Amino acid sequence: MPIVLIAGAGMAGRATALTLRRVGWQGEIILVGDETTPPYDRPPLSKSVVVGTADMSKVIKPALETYAQGGIDLRLGVSVTAADATARTATLSDGSQIAWDALVIATGCAPRALPIPGLDLPGVHRVTRMDEALAVQAVLTAGPTHLAIIGGGFIGMEVAAAAVAHGHRATVLEAAPEPMSRPLGLEVAERVLRWSVERGIDVRAGVGVEQIAGDDRASGVRLVGGEEIDADLVIIAVGQSPRLELAELLGCVLAEGGVHVDAGMRTSIKGVYAVGDVAAFPSVYADEDRIRVEHAAVAIGHGQTAAEQIATGEGLFTDLPSFWSDQGDLTFNVIGVPRMTDTIVWRGDQNIPACTAFYMRDGTMRAAFSVGDMKTLRSVRKLFATGVSPTAEQLADPAVDLAALAAG
Amino acid sequence: MAQVSIGQLGDFPEATPTRVEADGVALCVVRVGNAVHVICDDCPHEEASLSDGDFLAEDMSVECPLHGSAFNLETGNPDCPPATSAVEVFAVSMDGDNVLIEL
Repeated sequence: MPIVLIAGAGMAGRATALTLRRVGWQGEIILVGDETTPPYDRPPLSKSVVVGTADMSKVIKPALETYAQGGIDLRLGVSVTAADATARTATLSDGSQIAWDALVIATGCAPRALPIPGLDLPGVHRVTRMDEALAVQAVLTAGPTHLAIIGGGFIGMEVAAAAVAHGHRATVLEAAPEPMSRPLGLEVAERVLRWSVERGIDVRAGVGVEQIAGDDRASGVRLVGGEEIDADLVIIAVGQSPRLELAELLGCVLAEGGVHVDAGMRTSIKGVYAVGDVAAFPSVYADEDRIRVEHAAVAIGHGQTAAEQIATGEGLFTDLPSFWSDQGDLTFNVIGVPRMTDTIVWRGDQNIPACTAFYMRDGTMRAAFSVGDMKTLRSVRKLFATGVSPTAEQLADPAVDLAALAAG
Repeated sequence: MAQVSIGQLGDFPEATPTRVEADGVALCVVRVGNAVHVICDDCPHEEASLSDGDFLAEDMSVECPLHGSAFNLETGNPDCPPATSAVEVFAVSMDGDNVLIEL
């Protein structure tokens, strides 16, 4: 019986395994994950999991027995340590050997290193894995806590917003002068930052961190220049980078800091696929030849496409990229592929979190950021689906019915 | 399968998702004219009550208020990410004005 080996049991790997069965794959499926927690949704880690409000049956899903019932050989706590593209073999960290017919690289990202002293002190945490997020939850549910969060990207800001909404204090330390400006652009990032500050998050932008303070446990963060931020808990959220070791071992062509794939998630090596964070894929919604997207909805779509390719030889990933960020009471939805250099057109009052920002490039709508404005968000999806790009004036005018424009 | 009454036709405002509970199950109910549609109220993606979302008449669906996946009232399927699985759809029958579902 042919064997599909899926290296990585994150959201893309999980979607690959579950979809393979759904589309009728009759062969074996081996899903390998280096965490001991069964596959789960990663977005809640920095939100409801850290503050202890998550319904874990909705986070860790499907139920473990689903894998056995579906004939999916789920191997937790192990990783693929070696692989050979010619012999089509792989070695796992527990020493077992697998002869595969298709190999799916779903290795995700590793947290970026932060070269400062004190990271091994108790009280210093990351929230990239379930066990790490649960360790933070144990502290936050024990009582009011002052968090120092190093990194003002989505993950850092989500943890801060969730903590503040639950009665904790949070200080975010960001090296860049404008937090979140790379994914959202300066103008939108500036609004998001203002709303965060209004909700009680202390954001210190443009600061360097020198070391974690404390003798036998973290007591704060020392900044470049000597100032010390006191904290009970330090969270490191300075970003991540794709794990490419397996792709490099196999000899896959790389691109955009990831693994080069076509729209069928096929790498340069026959029988080898790449999905999720590691995949550099083509998208009609981007100007670039290949893009990488480190967000859940895209990861799931990649997994579904790879599974269809393996099982049926058909299926292309053509989804409109989208992601969301829940920050306390605010939910930001972004669809399309925004770029920092895009011109922003606002619809609705941009001073309150009930508006939409359109990213215009060469006179065309290329992406949208929406908060508290589901009607516009839905209209924008319809515009993308039909390929209609209204003018900047139409987008900015709340009297113009965008859904009607999409309908033609 | 038991037939459970979830209320009278007039209890449900036109084209407005309404939350009711029956035997401890949270339901999202939408009345369109004399037709009543009932789906599970919990968004399968994250924690959200679908009855807090909007009814989309043109798609016969209810939109999750958090991230915008809209669930078809007849099939339960979401139309776009982030939700990837369907919500349960309950069969509805009428006994006069009494709205009954199979639970």
